[in-house]
Amino acid sequence: MSAAVAEAARLLAASRAPVIAGLGTDIAGARAALLLADRLGATIDHMHSATLLRDLDVMRETGLVLTTPGEARRRGDVVLLVGDGLAESLADVWPDLDLAALPRPTKAPERRVLRLTSGNNRAERTDDGPRTPTARTDVIDGAGASLPQLVAALRARANGRPVRTPAPLVDTMDGFAKILKSAKFGIAVWSAAELDTLAIEMLCGLIRDLNARTRFAGLPLPPGYNAFGVLQACGWMTGYPMRTTFARGFPEHDPWRFDAVRLVDSGEADCAMWISSYGAEKPLWRRDIPLIALSSEDALSPPGAQVQIAVGRPGVDHAGAHFCAKAGTLAHFAAQHETGLPSVAAVLAQICNALDGIGKSPC
Amino acid sequence: MLTCITGGYVIDPPNRRDGIGDLWMENGRVVTAPASGTAHATFDATDRIVMAGAIDIHSHIAGGNVNTARLLLPEEHIRFDPRTAGMPFATAGSSTFETGCAYAAMGFTTVVEPAITPHNALQAHLELADVPIIDKAILTVLGNDDYLLALMRDNAGPAHIRDYVAWMLDATRGLGIKVINAGGAAAFKENVRSFSLEDIVPAYGVTSRRIVETLQRAVIDLGVPHPLHVHCNNLGLPGNVDTAIATIEAAQGLPLHLAHLQFYAYGRDGARGFSSGAPRLAEAVNAKTNVTVDVGQVMFGQTVTVSCDVLRQFMARGQANPSKWVIVDGDSNGGGIVPYKYRATDFHNVVQWAAGLELFLLIDDPTRVFFTTDHPNGAPFTTYPEIFALLMDRELRAETIASLPPAAIEMTSLAALKREYTLNEIAVMTRSAPAKLLGLADRGHLGPGAIADVAVYAPDKDKAKMFRQAALVFKDGELVVRDGKIVQYRFGRALSVRPRADRTVESRIRTYYEATYGFDAALLKVPDGAIGRPDPFETVGCNG
Repeated sequence: MSAAVAEAARLLAASRAPVIAGLGTDIAGARAALLLADRLGATIDHMHSATLLRDLDVMRETGLVLTTPGEARRRGDVVLLVGDGLAESLADVWPDLDLAALPRPTKAPERRVLRLTSGNNRAERTDDGPRTPTARTDVIDGAGASLPQLVAALRARANGRPVRTPAPLVDTMDGFAKILKSAKFGIAVWSAAELDTLAIEMLCGLIRDLNARTRFAGLPLPPGYNAFGVLQACGWMTGYPMRTTFARGFPEHDPWRFDAVRLVDSGEADCAMWISSYGAEKPLWRRDIPLIALSSEDALSPPGAQVQIAVGRPGVDHAGAHFCAKAGTLAHFAAQHETGLPSVAAVLAQICNALDGIGKSPC
Repeated sequence: MLTCITGGYVIDPPNRRDGIGDLWMENGRVVTAPASGTAHATFDATDRIVMAGAIDIHSHIAGGNVNTARLLLPEEHIRFDPRTAGMPFATAGSSTFETGCAYAAMGFTTVVEPAITPHNALQAHLELADVPIIDKAILTVLGNDDYLLALMRDNAGPAHIRDYVAWMLDATRGLGIKVINAGGAAAFKENVRSFSLEDIVPAYGVTSRRIVETLQRAVIDLGVPHPLHVHCNNLGLPGNVDTAIATIEAAQGLPLHLAHLQFYAYGRDGARGFSSGAPRLAEAVNAKTNVTVDVGQVMFGQTVTVSCDVLRQFMARGQANPSKWVIVDGDSNGGGIVPYKYRATDFHNVVQWAAGLELFLLIDDPTRVFFTTDHPNGAPFTTYPEIFALLMDRELRAETIASLPPAAIEMTSLAALKREYTLNEIAVMTRSAPAKLLGLADRGHLGPGAIADVAVYAPDKDKAKMFRQAALVFKDGELVVRDGKIVQYRFGRALSVRPRADRTVESRIRTYYEATYGFDAALLKVPDGAIGRPDPFETVGCNG
């Protein structure tokens, strides 16, 4: 590996505008990547920044009412699922959503699940096996209407405003609105991977409206590859989320300018490091660029990488802290079986040493 | 290596030093002057004031809610200063790195983050690990957590409660226990919109008062040095001085710390039904020597309020400025982040500002009133120098009062208060008393054996200037600040207690979490190896 590390350091030292992308790594890897970016004057981005920034943009424009998966599971008597393809992420966050009984202390009503889908690309929930009793589930099938339209119409009806939706759908909407308003502790679940910013803002507006009289909270499903954990580390270390550059000696954040794909495809970046320690995710840019790839061993390295370094999977091959979807917070995981594969943090530390060795000292 | 700070005016109340002398340090500790031999390094402190490093007992600098505030308000911390060489992120606004640098520049060397829910403990410690220079600690928040409330509902004995509290302190690496609007966050999840000391948490049948008393008892029984740290009910509401006084009474003569008392120092007098209740409250504090308080001073300007008091934050959402806010109904407390701008032209804000100063000036004993702004809730901690100046200089207070709306000032007694804090009292309030309150025997003073955390100031008629930029600061005997500028990064430790308890409680907690929240409570644990720095923790001994 030492030759690979030396070559990585050489490429980075020669670069005038490097980008560190992918960032699918644990907290230690994210901290090391941010320190390296600061040292090099590089730009950082995460493979799921686009998704993450949709929720974040709504937060920093209007704010949010949120809850944790644990509280949702415990208290959520009405669960509004917004989207066509939530099944996979939900299985990580809330595997027993369809259980009818609530583990809350009151004699609560049974859980009621409402699904809002456009009817396009609908993915049914996959169940591991029969569970009884199962929560009653009602579905609004938008029959071609888009999710943003459906969310907007539902919010309008919940506030008693007229909509131009066909009458049968309005009746169902009204039924939904009534159930939402009668919730004791309602939960709205969405994934920013399939909603745009305005639809998320509309949905969060509905949650806010409902809180005027009852309790309701949002549970956005987190993208994978520790996107939320890396966001947290970026936040505390720099004050900003991903898509931030350190080129001028202080952090500057811009969701468009510092999009790694745009930087590479436009030719603004002249060297890229791609980090994907959880699986085989590959960069989406199309231009050839000097590339250093840190990937989990079973992942096929991105084509055209000058340097390829196999790294371990956090919490599998080595211990690591990352966002735990089920707990809704950062947690530390011991290795399942130590394989000797290095962590991203360990590799980046070696690259920093190699940078010292070739006289690219910390600025 | 032997180091000597020579010829400074040493103010060290616990060791009765108040005069010119030398201070010797070796291997990170203060030592007695050697009989012979010379220092390897000397620092001339002639015409300088020498004190122990300051300790902040209540400042929200880490954890999920603080980080949400960073991400909520990117526009508030845009900076254009390139960082100094070798100091990553030192100029990144609101970052953990800037936090450590800004504290150290003022001569602070230990800071307590007072509100971390068990759910957020690992993130909080990871954030604190990226705060350079200073040592730090968290207080673990209990009192709205279902496991505790269920124990109380089921009349579990004190031993069960004690074991649970001990397990949580150990798992989360806390220095003490904080309770925030006891039961209020749990009640808010049941759609309760106001919650006071005698109110009952729905579904659990326990009052707020009983939660406070139960936790207070557990903390005492476990020998945790820091008394239960209480954020009372009814924060910010007119007339809430009664709640604070009732909570002081509820302490029943046993140790209790009341946080950011200024936010409870409100009466209902005057045409607007809002007045300072600080004189009454100060009188109550003066009469009860078992109670300690910190102030939570308000200063005018933009800030963001960050609190686990979800109910209060939700009710304050209409005052968000800029108009955006986040509420998190978390496991146990959760949190609320509401940006706010205190204005010198606003009647209520001016009463708040004056009430805080009244508490400082009317509470007689500087060992029982602590210096805080409840950062960032009353003001950012970077306003501390201005507050020191206000406390030490009555003319400055008079000038400031003259610029504020008289109608507001008239609802307070501030204009009549002539007291000026001495440097000795400042040293007690910000050094020796906090160390004692937290059980840190080797901090807050400069006696032999103390950790060599030292702040050296250049006296100035402008007291704010003096405290804004320390002339020299030493952390563990190493120079870290010169003329208010950081000279090197080093990373400190988090202080925590590890009380003894029956560890069989762990299986019960894990079973409960698995059934209730669907995840393993062992995930709440913060192991040393998770922090990513050598020796990240320092254990503080418990009593008994």
